[in-house]
Amino acid sequence: MRALLSGIGLAIALLGAISYAYGQKETELYIPIGQSPGLSQKYTSIGELAEVDPRAKTVTIADPAGRRTVKITEKTRIWLDRSKLKLTNLTGSFADLQQGRRVEVKYDDPQRREVAEWVKVEVSQP
Amino acid sequence: MSATTHAANLHRLPKFGVAGALLVGVVALAACQTRPPDPQAALVAKGRALFFNETFNGNGRTCGSCHREENNFTIDPVFIATLPKTDALFVAEFNPDLKQNFENPRLMREFGLILENLDGFGDLANRFTMRGVPHVLALRTSVASPQGPRTGWSGDGAPADGSLRAFATGAVIQHFTRTLNRVAGVDFRLPTDAELDALEAFQLSLGRQSDLQLPLPLKGTVAKRGQEIFLNDGLGKCNICHRNAGANATLGGRDAGNANFNTGVEDLPDQPARLTGERVPRDDGFGTPGNGTFNTPALVEAADTGPFFHNNAIQTIEGAVAFYNGQAFNNSPSGRFLASTDPNGVGIRLDATQVVAVAAFLRVINALENIRQSLEVLTQSAALGFFEREQGEQLLKRAVSETGDSIEVLTGGGLHPEAVAQLVEARRLAERAASSLFNRRGLTREAIQALELARAQLIEVRK
Repeated sequence: MRALLSGIGLAIALLGAISYAYGQKETELYIPIGQSPGLSQKYTSIGELAEVDPRAKTVTIADPAGRRTVKITEKTRIWLDRSKLKLTNLTGSFADLQQGRRVEVKYDDPQRREVAEWVKVEVSQP
Repeated sequence: MSATTHAANLHRLPKFGVAGALLVGVVALAACQTRPPDPQAALVAKGRALFFNETFNGNGRTCGSCHREENNFTIDPVFIATLPKTDALFVAEFNPDLKQNFENPRLMREFGLILENLDGFGDLANRFTMRGVPHVLALRTSVASPQGPRTGWSGDGAPADGSLRAFATGAVIQHFTRTLNRVAGVDFRLPTDAELDALEAFQLSLGRQSDLQLPLPLKGTVAKRGQEIFLNDGLGKCNICHRNAGANATLGGRDAGNANFNTGVEDLPDQPARLTGERVPRDDGFGTPGNGTFNTPALVEAADTGPFFHNNAIQTIEGAVAFYNGQAFNNSPSGRFLASTDPNGVGIRLDATQVVAVAAFLRVINALENIRQSLEVLTQSAALGFFEREQGEQLLKRAVSETGDSIEVLTGGGLHPEAVAQLVEARRLAERAASSLFNRRGLTREAIQALELARAQLIEVRK
């Protein structure tokens, strides 16, 4: 009986959401750079884009801790933070990752910090 | 007694001499001593004030617009019908900027459904879900999960780190905005870190702080049988996912915490909201795109917080239990799996009497929780001083509301008429206490006694 229940348990666990609760990412779009509760600066990097490599699909961020190169994948969400212009934030693309722009990056792999889960790009000019 | 009154009294006592005045002063100061400040209580109180009053410079809504304290921190069509047209809940009906794609007023009024853009804000007219308002009681027992914090109907209700603390930020963006541009600093302001701390502390303080330990020594014949069915992993199978009637699962002998499951609710035929002909897209649950799973709610608080399931598809607790007999559940991934492990290949199959028995059990444990909460606030009220009248009145109102719920929950199932009579008396006494100038504490103590008598009708009370 115990084995049966263990089996039930494991299988039901598989039926459930195995993925971790990423949070309701969709409202994240509207949170300005540096203001994500529990994330900003703790689990994200905020700095300037020092380099952009469209071929390798990587960007290098310069922040007070140094420079870090991060991979942008198909799953990486890119958002344009236009809150300083008092305009609505938009979904962006790799083309919006331009050298010199201020960004916030959340990592898909919090330990290694090699892949970006999302990038917020500050847009300060209309 | 206030410090000013004490000072005045001291002026009237010079004839007793310095020593006498000093003695009086010491006694008076001792009487004036207030309880030492409790930082956690202060944080909860701040969170309460924010929850019910703070609009974050938005459209006028507060957290309390949908999570009403007088309605168990949720809303339903019956309650909604009592609100004035100008209530901020109905902002889509009178704010031109929010007329389109913010809410569906018909579905809100008829079924208590709220619009959520869980799969993104790119196509507001077509990509949205319509969900009921989950209560925020007993979150302490469920929000932490081995798979990460779980908030909202699909467990992924919060942005940022996905925590209950971050939940308010997402809620402000989704529900408090002045326009659909959703620009921080223009359409709303985001909660500060200190505000998020307070809101989290307040929400965690609500309702049960721990799970029940089943079985309970229930007295009612039908409820007692319902509890047996509930706990039977070969019959009701309820306790597998709702351990101790809470929100956590025990899987393979291990605590799986507050898990997500696909139970097929979205496959129910004749869902009330869809019968209207209004657009109600399929809700894909957790994640973007969703994996079809939804988060397990606690059951102790279920009977007085319907309608049930994420889409308010079922109105009664009996209907919610009966759902697990139906095709939608038994053809779902969860139902099919339960069937695959059953010697007779059955997912869940209960007869009508068994459905009613499980529902009776859920009604009784809900009423017991109502009584526990009523006793808690009445005891707090009885301990207050004469001049803490306003605070006492608030507590008594909460007791009246909770006791009223217990009456409804029991009478709705035709259960425990003797207990109901005691509960009616307890409510009457609490109401009188709330309006009494000189006998508030006496009447409160009588209300406590009536509640204890009611509880003793439902359960064997250990002395």
